[in-house]
Order: sequence, then C-alpha cells, then structure tokens
Amino acid sequence: MSISVVRKVLRDQRRSLFWWSIGIAALALYTMLFYPSIASSPELDQIMRELPPALKAMFGEMSLTSPEGYINTELFSFMMPLLFLIFTILQGGAAVAGEEEQGTLDLVLSTPITRRRFVLEKFVAMLMSTLFLAVILWVSTVAGIAIADFEVNLSRLAEAIFSVFLLAMAFGTLALALGCATGGRALSTGVSSALAVIAYFLNSMAPLAESVEPFQKLSLFYYYYEADPLRHGLDLGHVGVLLAVTVVLLLIGVMTVGKRDLQV
Amino acid sequence: MDDFAINTEKLTKFYKKQRGIVELSLSVRTGEVFGFLGPNGAGKTTTIRLLLGLLRPTDGSASVFDLDTVKDSVEIRHRCGYLPGELVLYENMTGTNLLQYMASLRRGVSLEFAEELAERLDCDLSRPIRTLSRGNKQKIGLIQALMHQPELLVLDEPTSGLDPLVQHEFYKIIAEASATGQTVFLSSHNLPEVERVCHRAGIIREGRLIAIEEIASLKERALRRLEIHFEGAVEKDAFRAVPGIRNLQWENSIMRCEIMGSLDPLIKTLAQYNVTNLISHEPHLDEIFMAFYGEGSEKDVN
Repeated sequence: MSISVVRKVLRDQRRSLFWWSIGIAALALYTMLFYPSIASSPELDQIMRELPPALKAMFGEMSLTSPEGYINTELFSFMMPLLFLIFTILQGGAAVAGEEEQGTLDLVLSTPITRRRFVLEKFVAMLMSTLFLAVILWVSTVAGIAIADFEVNLSRLAEAIFSVFLLAMAFGTLALALGCATGGRALSTGVSSALAVIAYFLNSMAPLAESVEPFQKLSLFYYYYEADPLRHGLDLGHVGVLLAVTVVLLLIGVMTVGKRDLQV
Repeated sequence: MDDFAINTEKLTKFYKKQRGIVELSLSVRTGEVFGFLGPNGAGKTTTIRLLLGLLRPTDGSASVFDLDTVKDSVEIRHRCGYLPGELVLYENMTGTNLLQYMASLRRGVSLEFAEELAERLDCDLSRPIRTLSRGNKQKIGLIQALMHQPELLVLDEPTSGLDPLVQHEFYKIIAEASATGQTVFLSSHNLPEVERVCHRAGIIREGRLIAIEEIASLKERALRRLEIHFEGAVEKDAFRAVPGIRNLQWENSIMRCEIMGSLDPLIKTLAQYNVTNLISHEPHLDEIFMAFYGEGSEKDVN
C-alpha cells in the first residue's frame, strides 16, 4: 500500500509549505543581515545588562554582540520555536481530529488501512514537512551569515535547529495524540498551544523565582534550550527526553484511536 | 457458514445514553441484494458503521463473511465497498485524484472499472470536487465504493441526491453486481426503491428490527393510496366491498382510498365505470408500518 497517506498530506501541503518556507527564510536572512550593525554598537550590550531581570530571563541571553548570543536571542530563544510550534501543532491537530470533524475519516478508514498505520503515516508526514522547514531555516541562516560575513560554527547551527525541530515534533505529536484520543481538533490544538505557552514561561521564568525552579525540568523548553546547542552542541540526555516524549505521545495516540468510535 | 455475508447477533449500540440500535439480529445471504428500510434516525447508519468497524458494539456481535467486525475489521474492509450516508470527500481533489487515493489505500486497484462507471453515471472526474453538485459528489462516492468490485457492497442511502435518470442507471449497476455474485446491503427510506432493487428487506424502527420480508410479500402487504376521478354515475357503495380497501372517501366524483395487497379487485370494479384519472401516491414509510402492524399496535412490536 506504499505511503499513500504521507504522499497525500505532503501534496495537500505544497502551497502552505511554500509560504512557510518563504517566511522562515526571509526572517532568518533578514535577521542575519542585521548582525554587523548590531555588533558594531557595544552600547546595546550595556542596555541589555541594565534590563530588569524578568526581561533578561525572557530574552535568555546577555550578549547581542557575539554571533552566538545574537542568533540565540533573535532566533532560538523565542521566534523560531514559536513559528515551528504553530506549524506542528496546527498540523498535528488537523491530522486525525481534523479529518474526523470534516467527515473524510469515515471514507478513508473504510479502506483496509489500519488506524494505527493511518496515524503513523500522518506522523511521518508531519516529521517530513517540519524537517523540510528546518533545512530551509539552516540554509537561509547560513546564506545570511555568508552575506553578512561573520563566523558561526555551521554544524552547531544545525544542532540548534535540530533542537527546534525536536521540540516542535514533541508538541505537534501532543496535538496529534489529543486528536486521536478525543476527535476534537480545536481541543487538541488549543490544549497543546496552552501547554506550550506554560512550558515556555515555566522554563524562562524559573531562574527568577525559587518556587518555580524545581519545576523547570518539567518544561520541554528546558530540554530544548538549556544546554545551549548553538555554543555547546546537543546534549544527548536532553535530546533523549524530547524523543522519548514524542514516542510516548505517538504510542498513546495510536492506542487511543484504535479503541474508540469514530464520530460522524 | 459461508452462506451468509452478514450476520448480527443481538447487536446493540448506545451512544452514552442515547439509543443507536437494540438487539438487532439479522442475516444477509451471500449474493442477495438486501434492503435496510427505515425512517431517518432509526439506526440504519449505526448498523452500517458497526459492520465496517467504525463503531464498536455496546453489546452483541456482528460478523461479515464470518469475520468479527471488531477483531477482523481490516480484512472485512478489504472485501467491502462502502458509501457513507453523510458523504464527505476531499474538496481540493479532483474525482480522479480521489479515486486514485482510495485505490492506493486499497493496495492498488485498477481504475478501469471506475472510469467505465463514471461514463455510465455521466460523472466528470476531471473537475475539483468542490465545484461539483451534491448529486455529482454522490456519484463519486458510489464509484469509489464499486470500483474494486468488492464481494460486499455496503451503501448508506445510495440514491440520495441522484436525479431519476442516474438512479435508474444505478439500479442497473446494482443488478449487474448481484448477477456476478456480489452481495449488496443498502439502506433506504424509500419503499419503491427497495421493492425495485432488493430481494429481501429488513425494516428497522427506533433501533429495533421489526421485520424481515421477501420483497414479494412486502409488495403484497404494501399500502397504496389512490385517487380516482369518475365521470358519470357511480354506485359508491359498490366500492366498500372491494377486498383490501380502507379509508374510503368521496369528494363529489373523486374517490380517495387506500388499498392493501393486490390492486386487481379494485381495477375490476373500476372497469364498470368511466374513469377519467387515476393517481397513485407513494406510501409514506409510517403508513407501511401501520399496514404491517395495524394502527395503535406499534408499541407491541417486539
């Protein structure tokens, strides 16, 4: 039966994936091209140092004048996780629950494809399109760095982007699994988005409040960002956590959708 | 055992507290065209979706070709073609794209027969589905159910939205399928349709199967409403004695009545007079139930 569902999802996505790519590439390129003018104004670092701690925590970086500091602040502390999460959570919610609400799931699952297989193929499709965006991000960032003419370790850059990819897959799979379990698209995207926002603040605010700190490791953002992959490379333990969460969520999705009634 | 394409044993489905079907036991023979007749909300769609494993029974069990609908659903679906009652297609695809997709999910089915069907049903497969009328979408739904020439066709209200000409072609296609040994299970709320294409019919009401009849005996007991216009003198009392006549009413020279069973005695009586017009109304389903069980007795059924 090959991978008909994967092919269909990717085919349906062509246009939206094209615009997502344009947006992400433009943002990465534009951000890189700005670096030289930022780097030549050390007073910015002074301003950063004087920011209130709460804001510092949100930006996550103290230095805008090193290439890594700049890229972390502009891309990896907030903007790229945000965009990638929107992309995967929307896709994860639509994958099963979207088709169920629309009514097309009845037709598809009247063919001899197993529900398990259907969910797995939807997952693979999400993985492929997200990976595609990650590659676009790397290529456009590298291009920007080359044009703006400064030095960054490009394999470390790839590792940092891979971390974004893993984080996005974890939350996208959460939305997918919630859709499998409940059949509600709005519910799965809504709950996943809310949990992502909570996880973000839990991680970034933890250094500020002692009461929150013990819970920092409950946040997937901790495993995404804390090891600073752009400077130090991926932390295998953290990668393992993100992978494990994704796999467990996928299994939950597969198991719950197999056992329940499909809505009309 | 292989004599039955479908077998249900006290099949029961409740949605939370809401009734779907109750203790429905039914057998459909291999090769027959079986009509599943009942008003909207009676439980026809619930039964069909249980057969395809889209729903899980609350109680009882169902098998298709001796395969359990819960455990062996994939194998069942391999051997079935299904038209959903509330058909939703991928609006962004063309008919051909959709059929290709469905064929690939069925592990590669040639589209040759699908194209032949499209031609017969006068269905344009090259247009995006969102631009099609309801009737044309229904045709694509039918084609995807039929294209792999499955052993069992499960069709939920197959003719809804089709114009009469296409309906006629559809009846022919069903008859051909049956002639080649395919089993057909179709739901309908239209008695004449079931009479026309089916060998047997099950009648479902409020979630319960209340009768399984050969079409011949269904016809015998069918109720027809007639309106007859006369010219000249008529001996009105003569009609009271016609066997099977009910609810006889006169309005000047127009007679209205219901006839159960054969029309012949009435026709013989009519032949003595000058009849200018004869109008036959399709019986409403509720009236059929009345005819079956008599007024007021429908509560005693089962």
